[in-house]
Amino acid sequence: MAQYEEVTVHGYEEFCKAVSERAGKEIFAYFSGNKDAQGKSWCPDCVKAEPIVRGEMSHLPEGSVFIYCQVGERAFWKDPSNDFKKTLKLSGVPTLLRYGTPQKLVEEECFKSDLVKMMFTED
Amino acid sequence: MATLCRVRHRWKRIKCAHVLTRSLTGKFDYDLVVIGGGSGGLACSKEAAQFGQRVAVLDYVEPSAKGTKWGLGGTCVNVGCIPKKLMHQAALLGTAVKDAKKYGWQISGPVCHDWATMAEAVQNHVRSLNWGHRVQLQDKKVKYLNMKGSLVDEHTVKGLTKAGKETILTAKNIVIATGGRPKYPTNIPGAIEYGLTSDDIFWLKKSPGKTLVVGASYVALECAGFLTGIGLDTTVMIRSIALRGFDQQMAGLVTDYMEAYGTKFVRKCVPKRVEKLSSGALQVTWSDINTGSEHKDTFDSVLWAVGRAPETKALGLDKLGVKLNKETGKIVLGADESTSVPNIFAFGDIGEGRPELTPTAIKAGKLLAQRLAGHSTQLMNYDNVATTVFTPLEYGCVGLSEEEAERRHGKDGIEIYHAFYKPLEFTVPERDASQCYLKVVCERGGDQKILGLHFTGPNAGEVTQGFSLGFQCGATYSHLLQTVGIHPTCAEELTKVNITKRSGLDATVTGC
Repeated sequence: MAQYEEVTVHGYEEFCKAVSERAGKEIFAYFSGNKDAQGKSWCPDCVKAEPIVRGEMSHLPEGSVFIYCQVGERAFWKDPSNDFKKTLKLSGVPTLLRYGTPQKLVEEECFKSDLVKMMFTED
Repeated sequence: MATLCRVRHRWKRIKCAHVLTRSLTGKFDYDLVVIGGGSGGLACSKEAAQFGQRVAVLDYVEPSAKGTKWGLGGTCVNVGCIPKKLMHQAALLGTAVKDAKKYGWQISGPVCHDWATMAEAVQNHVRSLNWGHRVQLQDKKVKYLNMKGSLVDEHTVKGLTKAGKETILTAKNIVIATGGRPKYPTNIPGAIEYGLTSDDIFWLKKSPGKTLVVGASYVALECAGFLTGIGLDTTVMIRSIALRGFDQQMAGLVTDYMEAYGTKFVRKCVPKRVEKLSSGALQVTWSDINTGSEHKDTFDSVLWAVGRAPETKALGLDKLGVKLNKETGKIVLGADESTSVPNIFAFGDIGEGRPELTPTAIKAGKLLAQRLAGHSTQLMNYDNVATTVFTPLEYGCVGLSEEEAERRHGKDGIEIYHAFYKPLEFTVPERDASQCYLKVVCERGGDQKILGLHFTGPNAGEVTQGFSLGFQCGATYSHLLQTVGIHPTCAEELTKVNITKRSGLDATVTGC
């Protein structure tokens, strides 16, 4: 079982800070709509994808970082000027990406465990 | 007695049927194994998987002499069409910025180009395509192996990883779509140690600087074109003629434009050796073919664009008796992409006599997959394929060159309508349009069927694509006359062309 670091952040600034503190490491980031007090996200696709993504985390490479980032409330996400959309160029949630590369899985792609495993294991 | 014989024969027939069935199901790991994950290989494997076939594709990139390597997608995606067109666009934008002032844009000083910014953006786009292809294969249930494939026997492929691990796959059918790689000159000292090819140019992190491009192919001219366009001191060294195989009048217009716009040409010369100086620069010595005199100059980079060779060496083809063309080394193919071995097929750049183009490889691959799955008998039609050379002045064409049309129909059997025109966009910035030209080569009699159509000008690819549909449908000069142009465009000049070469009249279009 590979050793990886899981980091949980809320919002763009926290995300950027977490990344900059881990320069030189292989970083995977999973972006999800905020969870409410009961732990349920406003984004139904995120609710569906999370267990699938978590199910493949045992395949994460040794020494890598997995950042679980809650992007914000629904209204914040819907605004196209939010930093995730503008700067990080995210088009939807959930998004699973390998930071610093064009490799990403967006929305329904995150439902496919074989694609998630492929992202964690292939170059 | 007779009854007994009949029963015995019936039993034999039943036994045979069982043996036949057993050999068709479950004997092979895959229905189809494709060696090569480029334009052709990917199209073929994905199409086959759509029909429910069990498919595997092997893709492996042997690093270039300079150590450059890339991901899934083949030449087009990584070291061909895609990065080429993006860098061509970067260069065109440089020219546009210069024109912009005349159109009223206030641009303070000279605008310079940063290679690293362009290269990173281009390389990132290519990497996103590598990933896109990877996701597509997975999604379409095609098994992908990043391994160097070779043939063991007619139904067995060996895959070798970079680390040397072996995997054996058996397949009902095998398709070879390994394409080609740039050639290095064999007899020029320093060529391999110090030179680059198109495999390397798009992946450089730093600007190639003052560059010598050796060759006169479209690869050479397109690369020299965008290097000049982004502001680099660029020289093209040509041994004999430019764009061999293309219409030579059009080739001349392409190179004339490049020369007028700053690319230097050294003609009828061959490089003799490349040496590295203590400064790190490369000194190239070349000789003039006519006089024999030698010349030298220093460059930061030397780009060899002297042809491409098929990737067949490591495949093990001779062992299986797959017939190759002795001259070109490419695989000899039937019209259905079959090789001399019954269940082994090949197509794309690796095929003898095939165009080295992505769209033909993709289409041929899909049709092959359909035929192998038993869903079609349609063969690939390699005729009437339109192409475009993305030099600074783009050249688009479909059909025969003037020379070829003359060869087939005789000078008296053809009528050529032509025109020099000026794109409207060139007028305000006072740009020279001397090489913006078009010609339609037609049969002389009857409806004057169009045999070839040639166009140099901005967006030649976009212009030619539309006309290629007409060409495919057997368009005639009469059809062209009946077609009303869209105004104001460059393309409309094709619908208005009426001066023949035969008349000797001035073919310059006057204003509308």
